[in-house]
Amino acid sequence: MPTVFDGRREKLSTPKQAKVERTIMTPLTSFAVSPDGIKFETQESEETVVLFLRQHLVVMLGPALLVALLAFAPVILFPFFYRYLTLPVSIPPSYIIVGTAFWYVVTFGFALMSFLRWFFNIYIVTDKRIVDIDFIHLLYKEFSEARLDRIQDISYKSSGIFSVFFDYGDAYVQTAGGDLPNIEFLAVPQPAKVVETISELLENVKPNV
Amino acid sequence: MDIASLIFIFLKFLILFGLGLYIVFAAVILRQEQLMANVLEESFEPVLRLAAFIHLAAAIAVFVLALLIL
Repeated sequence: MPTVFDGRREKLSTPKQAKVERTIMTPLTSFAVSPDGIKFETQESEETVVLFLRQHLVVMLGPALLVALLAFAPVILFPFFYRYLTLPVSIPPSYIIVGTAFWYVVTFGFALMSFLRWFFNIYIVTDKRIVDIDFIHLLYKEFSEARLDRIQDISYKSSGIFSVFFDYGDAYVQTAGGDLPNIEFLAVPQPAKVVETISELLENVKPNV
Repeated sequence: MDIASLIFIFLKFLILFGLGLYIVFAAVILRQEQLMANVLEESFEPVLRLAAFIHLAAAIAVFVLALLIL
């Protein structure tokens, strides 16, 4: 079974907090508290990652089923269609070999693209700011951030059978000022805990403003 | 030369053109993966790079196969 929320944690001591729960990262981790071995592009030297989030693994169910269907199509569906399809010319075996090979390369490419999109679509909460890195498609990525002292409101929404069953939802971070973007954490695991963690961070930041 | 042979020659060039375009797409995936790896540093990244490289190599292999047997 893939890891959605990794329960293996280590208790570490830091000067600020007596005990910090740290999540050990795996390739399929979608919710990590104070993760080890994570560093992002604009991270400052004294900045600490508090929460690391990806979309819940259940969002990969659709692409995974499609990949399974595409993988089995040449051996199950194609002979079935070929039997009932009448063409004016017969297809040479070389075309069938190239066609099948290309089919599997495209299937692999689709699986890879789907995974990359999930893997690099990340939300990071640090002790200074919230970062949203979106890998929308092949040629488009979006990087948005909001300093904790500019955050005005946070909320979350979890609706639908799947959301309730797998405990995932959307968290919304509203920033002060019209020029700053609002940040949306879409389909993240444990949205209530995400909001709670950000609220705790805000309580530490706000009095200093 | 009959009409069926002409159709297959046209089809061969069409397939090679399509496979050529797919090689470009596979190269873009590899490049994009490298760029995204700079955004997020994680231990699993070399595996993804290897997968993207295998994808590009497979796309080139299918192109060469089509060139040889079609």
